[in-house]
Amino acid sequence: MNTEVADPTNLSEKKDFLVRSSSLKDVRSFSREVFEKFKIDEDLREELVLAIAEAAQNIVKHAYKDFPDTQDRMAVRITCTGKELEIAFFDKGKPVEESKVKHRAIDDVKPGGLGTFFIQEIMDSIKFKEGDKPWINNLVLTKKL
Amino acid sequence: MKFKVTDSENISTVFLNGEIDMDIADDVREVIFPLIDSGKVVHLNLKDVQYMDSSGISVIVESSKRAKDKNTKVELKEVSQPVEKVLAMARKFL
Repeated sequence: MNTEVADPTNLSEKKDFLVRSSSLKDVRSFSREVFEKFKIDEDLREELVLAIAEAAQNIVKHAYKDFPDTQDRMAVRITCTGKELEIAFFDKGKPVEESKVKHRAIDDVKPGGLGTFFIQEIMDSIKFKEGDKPWINNLVLTKKL
Repeated sequence: MKFKVTDSENISTVFLNGEIDMDIADDVREVIFPLIDSGKVVHLNLKDVQYMDSSGISVIVESSKRAKDKNTKVELKEVSQPVEKVLAMARKFL
């Protein structure tokens, strides 16, 4: 885990993980550890862990859909300014088409899209950016504290 | 991953535990689906589940639909607080 203290009022932690479903528990452990260190409100922590895990799961399921045995790594960076939490994801998978990233219609009874719905329910903003090299995708989630 | 299963007449109770995510979801399906396919009523005991994400919810939804198709049912029992929170959020969507 790397701690970055570019701005002394900001706390930031970043870690990378192999892109596969077995890494999701490690993503959750990292998130819980960081939230404890940043002293994030306990009532909010598990919701944030869920949003982070769902976003990481989307990278495994969608950005690397055709590459289940990839050795690529994805990175998660959590930054706290005191007033806002920013969670950034970086991956080198298939470029995300933002127009296709939406939860499905409410009257469709299939569970697909539920993870994206959870992220939208928990976080205040979701932005997809083109990643700076070597990254392809950069998803940024924010939550006011 | 192993899950405890108990049988009483036509009811099978599956005791899930730990963290149910995408990595575990298929293991859960492998336990639940054969019980449904054999016509059993399936009770899912969730008291020892500390975390469940959308993959876990998907297993529950798929199980319920499968049970309906087989003229049986799946019921949730002793839902833990973390799972209840996720289910409450999912109910807005499902």
